[in-house]
Amino acid sequence: MQDKIKAGRRSFLAGGAAALAASMLPMRELLAQGADQDTLIISYPNDVPSWDPTALTLPSAQSIYATVFDTPLRYSPDLKLEPMQISKWEWQDSTKQRLAITLHEGITFHDGSKLTMDDVKWSLLEHPAQDAKLAIRGMFPTLKDVEISSPTQAVLVYSKPTPTAPIFLGFLAAFILPSQYIKKVGMDGFLAKPIGAGPYRIVQYQRGSRLVLEAYDGYWGKKPAIKNVVFLFTPEASSRVALVESKRATLATGLPIREAQRLGKTPGITSEIYPISTMYMVKVPSYVKPFENDNVRKALHLAIDKSALSRALYAGKAVPLSVVAIKNSPAHVDDYVFPYNQKLAMQLLEKEGYSLKNPVKITLFTTNGTFPNDYDMARVLASMWKKVGIDAAVEVTTAAKAMEQSHNQKMTGLMLYNWANATGDPDNGAGRILDPRLRFSMWRDASLGPRIDHLFSEVDEAKRIAGYRELLKEASEKSWVIPLLQGVDTLAHDSRCNVPLQGNGYISPRLYSWKK
Amino acid sequence: MLRTPLTVLLQRLLAGIPILVLLSLVVFVVLRALPSDPLGMMLPPSATRAEAQALSAALGLDKPLYVQFYIWLEKALGGDLGHSFLYQQSVVLLIAKALPVTLELVLVALCIALVISFPLALFAYSLYGKRWGVVPDTIVVVMQSIPAFLWGLLFIALFGVFFPVLPFSGQIGPDYHLPTITGFMLLDTLLLHNGPAFRDALAHMVLPACALALGFCPLVVRVLRSCLIEASREPYVMVARLRGVPARRILLRYIQKNALLPTITMIGVQFGFLFGSALLIEIIFSFPGIGSLMVSAVKSNDLPLIQGVTIVFGVLMVLINAVVDTLYVVLNPLLRDH
Repeated sequence: MQDKIKAGRRSFLAGGAAALAASMLPMRELLAQGADQDTLIISYPNDVPSWDPTALTLPSAQSIYATVFDTPLRYSPDLKLEPMQISKWEWQDSTKQRLAITLHEGITFHDGSKLTMDDVKWSLLEHPAQDAKLAIRGMFPTLKDVEISSPTQAVLVYSKPTPTAPIFLGFLAAFILPSQYIKKVGMDGFLAKPIGAGPYRIVQYQRGSRLVLEAYDGYWGKKPAIKNVVFLFTPEASSRVALVESKRATLATGLPIREAQRLGKTPGITSEIYPISTMYMVKVPSYVKPFENDNVRKALHLAIDKSALSRALYAGKAVPLSVVAIKNSPAHVDDYVFPYNQKLAMQLLEKEGYSLKNPVKITLFTTNGTFPNDYDMARVLASMWKKVGIDAAVEVTTAAKAMEQSHNQKMTGLMLYNWANATGDPDNGAGRILDPRLRFSMWRDASLGPRIDHLFSEVDEAKRIAGYRELLKEASEKSWVIPLLQGVDTLAHDSRCNVPLQGNGYISPRLYSWKK
Repeated sequence: MLRTPLTVLLQRLLAGIPILVLLSLVVFVVLRALPSDPLGMMLPPSATRAEAQALSAALGLDKPLYVQFYIWLEKALGGDLGHSFLYQQSVVLLIAKALPVTLELVLVALCIALVISFPLALFAYSLYGKRWGVVPDTIVVVMQSIPAFLWGLLFIALFGVFFPVLPFSGQIGPDYHLPTITGFMLLDTLLLHNGPAFRDALAHMVLPACALALGFCPLVVRVLRSCLIEASREPYVMVARLRGVPARRILLRYIQKNALLPTITMIGVQFGFLFGSALLIEIIFSFPGIGSLMVSAVKSNDLPLIQGVTIVFGVLMVLINAVVDTLYVVLNPLLRDH
């Protein structure tokens, strides 16, 4: 038996030695990652689903698309529309159906070929016409022609007044693709080896793992300060934290709020929790009892202490909203504040026969992990409502499931939702959220349709904005939708790197640089 | 009838075909019965319900369920598992790129698990009934109590952050731009005779594979130890001892050989579950494998991709079970004659 023991021990020790040897694989070059001043390593939560940037309107993919493809127009960090590939744009008519645009001189794709108005026409009009599945179709539904007068000049012709047309040239899915290259290699060839006209060209891509980019020498605009950019796709938040904490990544985004706060106290790391152009809100289904009741809806709204929500869950950085528009956006109603008033909420509920002993029972649906602290916010909302006589059961759902139920008018409760509006324009906010004909809308008041149509085609900008402000105020006052907070994003980065923040939360490597 | 390993393998593979058809039918029906919108990711915010219906028709989602299944099955038999809604690419192509990543991770994890488990089981067996027998038991209980993903997070904290000696994101560092040959990163770096790339890929593999392996070890250790104890009580072991055969020889030649049979069966069965654990490990360590693909597909309700990945998992299970049954016949001659 003793022999047996020795044999077992020897085997165990030998195995242990082998395991130890296997773990002694550290390489100095691995540790050097992230320290190279020519390279920026970004730990990013999402990969791009497809290399056709016109196929999907996925906000999380826009940062990468804009880096590789550039955008016709862009939004400044404080959300002002600025020239980009299009240097000039102006309406030719008073009905706002003919938008003259001029391209910058000297824009080339990564294969060296010139970007011309032919590419613009193909990307915005012809390509979407060929494929019913492309999301860009829905972004330019009234665009009927692109009249080309020269390689850099054209007129976008709309079938009806479209005063907000320019904003869609700096929004989701609006990217100019290399039409000649795609015709030559086919769409599958393009998807396998995509080229754009952005400041960085693709060097290597491994789906779901990483994207290696290099500054494009032929870029028409200001050359990026950092030559190489690597996106590491890291879906797990704790791995992103570890990457930036161990300095293997220069920058990580989408971090849990508490981790961002902790990393901010770590020497050599700067963290940011900053408001972006998204809105957290509670969507109300008009077709579900008791939400058709004005007093119940208003009580729901009055019982929410939005400042407390921000302090408890977002380090006080999420700005409380009284209307579904972010602060400093055109349609925000600066002089309007929806109050927090528990007493009034209880009085309104009492009128409808509800009390603390006989609470109104509702369901609040929420996602878990779709935006920061979503599930926690739902639970806090439920506890706030409980104090006034509203018994809310919190149920976790998925965005896809909620979409299906909203589409078929089968929502059975409220929905906590995050609405991204990278433009800040009310057309992309209240204009969508309250339009009863759209799938996103849960408040199905048919009379709002014509009202929104009118605002969509209102050519007088002052009247358009005034109309939206009126609509936003009424929607909040009557609680058709309950605005909560302006969304926040988080990032942490190597303190030696300059990282200007963007109001829409996008990552823009072209603007980053190493401190001297 | 004589049962050769080859006939067993063929029988098991043929028996897997109806299982796969049934599996595909169940998954197909369940996915479409779920109240979830597969078009959610594809439509812009401005899409009307009419536009959603038009897109649904373009994707064939408006047809009766049995028609949709017939079309899918017909194409699947021809090797076409459809087009991913999310990635806008062939499902087969997506799976072909992701599968080698998972297979490599799981196989390396299995090797590590066996390298750890076998000596540990022998060690535990050698201390069985003794005061120090509690040591291997404790090690096993600790390993068993911590799930694979938690090992992953612990390893990242320990070897990635506090003692930053190993990488923990992706399969290889961004400095290496290698052409894909087989899709198995370690194998590809060897085929390309690229030593530094191989070392880098191996370093990237250590933490995820160890995390996966440690979740697998306790089962192997427990089963092998029990089988060793059981086999050591057999009359032929007693006879061998009486004949003066050295204890080491008895252990390795007689006891271990017989204890291996049930252990191999258990390893085969549990090997399938390693793929399930790999799902979270791939997410944590950013491995672009089939688990990551499945998570993305489920999140966006990408029906063709979920269906495709599920079928591939099904095929893997059928193959693993067939190989285990065959191996059992190879190792146990008694099973070959009827």
